[in-house]
Amino acid sequence: MTWLVRLKLAALVLTTVVLQTTLFPDLRLFGVAPDLVLVATIAVAYRVGPETGAVYGFASGLVIDLFLQTPLGLSALSFAVVAYGIGILHTGLSRTPRFIAAMLGGAGGLAGGLIFVVLAALAGEDQVIAFRTIWVLVLAAVYDALLAVPMFPVARWAVGSTGAETPAIRGARST
Amino acid sequence: MVVYRRGNRRSVLILLFVTSITLITLDVRGSGPITGARGVAHDVVAPIATVADKVFSPVGDWVGGVTRAGTLKDENSRLRKELDELRGKAAQNRAFESENEELSKLLDLPYTEDSDAIAARVVSGSPGNFEWTVQIDRGTSDGVAEGMAVVTGAGLVGRIVEASGDRATALLLRDPKSGVAVVTESARTTGVAQGRTGESTLRLDFVDPTANVDEGELVFTSGRDNSRFPPSIPVARVEKVAKKRGELQQDIVLAPLVDLDSLEFVKVLRSPTTPAAPTEPATGEEAPTP
Repeated sequence: MTWLVRLKLAALVLTTVVLQTTLFPDLRLFGVAPDLVLVATIAVAYRVGPETGAVYGFASGLVIDLFLQTPLGLSALSFAVVAYGIGILHTGLSRTPRFIAAMLGGAGGLAGGLIFVVLAALAGEDQVIAFRTIWVLVLAAVYDALLAVPMFPVARWAVGSTGAETPAIRGARST
Repeated sequence: MVVYRRGNRRSVLILLFVTSITLITLDVRGSGPITGARGVAHDVVAPIATVADKVFSPVGDWVGGVTRAGTLKDENSRLRKELDELRGKAAQNRAFESENEELSKLLDLPYTEDSDAIAARVVSGSPGNFEWTVQIDRGTSDGVAEGMAVVTGAGLVGRIVEASGDRATALLLRDPKSGVAVVTESARTTGVAQGRTGESTLRLDFVDPTANVDEGELVFTSGRDNSRFPPSIPVARVEKVAKKRGELQQDIVLAPLVDLDSLEFVKVLRSPTTPAAPTEPATGEEAPTP
């Protein structure tokens, strides 16, 4: 991975964190905000694979944790696990299904939210244990799926040709 | 081309897992450097966030206006009625206010109006879905410190939970971690106004089961037991009281007096009873552990 790619990924973390902390608190749908930083993590992990994706997810999660009142490390761990899973899943894909961005954005958003809630509950954050949490997770996942559509091309631009050589990417390149 | 080795993959994930668990543990235990890191992060991002906020606030306002158009019309007419009533009451209250101030001085009680207030603008809400906070454009350089009460003209908003150089985060009344020692208007019964997950209303806990609490009456900060909040700040209105026979607790629901969804400007109170930089949570102000 070149320094330019690293610089672009750092800029992506900063941009998504700034948008998450300034724009998206005002763009809530039914009181629920999407997780743009997690969506960016999913998009990057899809391009770079599990290992680098997990590191990116950890770093971006750690930065957004600094702006939350929940314990530092909760988002970092949940984003890293989701990125790792997306990377593993993608390396096994032989062809790219249609609407892959929205599907992974939604599924990854739901998984990331669930992991966050479980970890938060284990860390003593009782406010996450409520019926409303189910509603929040589902709605945020739908929102994440929509945001993933424009985010995937951004991640492709940031990563360039450095990404993981998966069967799906090889297939897309050959066609 | 990246070649994956299963052992290498696992070691990265294990390393990230161990680091995360260590950070979570340190933060839960209240490690100083982590609090400092949060302050630094806020200060670093603050200039960019200020620019971004100026660019994006019209977008947010527009979306807010569209999604709340129906309720805004009803709210507007309701507020006009309330304004007329309140104008009349305000004139009446002036006389009581000066009398109250004189009596409070005689009794040597701290008075809300004695508080030195710092005006601040709300710059953003919470970026997450599991906490109810707002960020204000004043920080430690303006005299804001953790634990200070945040109010508007209508009443209590919450308290400062984090302050960096130029920014501070206020925990709103409706957050489940928020608990405020209050006293009821008529019976002068004390209790704790507690936030509820996902609800815009509060719950009044630890109230004497025999106390008479009526729907519609107001609750104020009690200012007792080293409370961080000055006394007599209006907090909420009693919305519902349900008392079942044989139960030890009354089920009391409160509606905050301040519209916590549309905060623009607030005041941070440097109360005469509040230490400048508290290190320990004050008794009766933290949410009780279930």
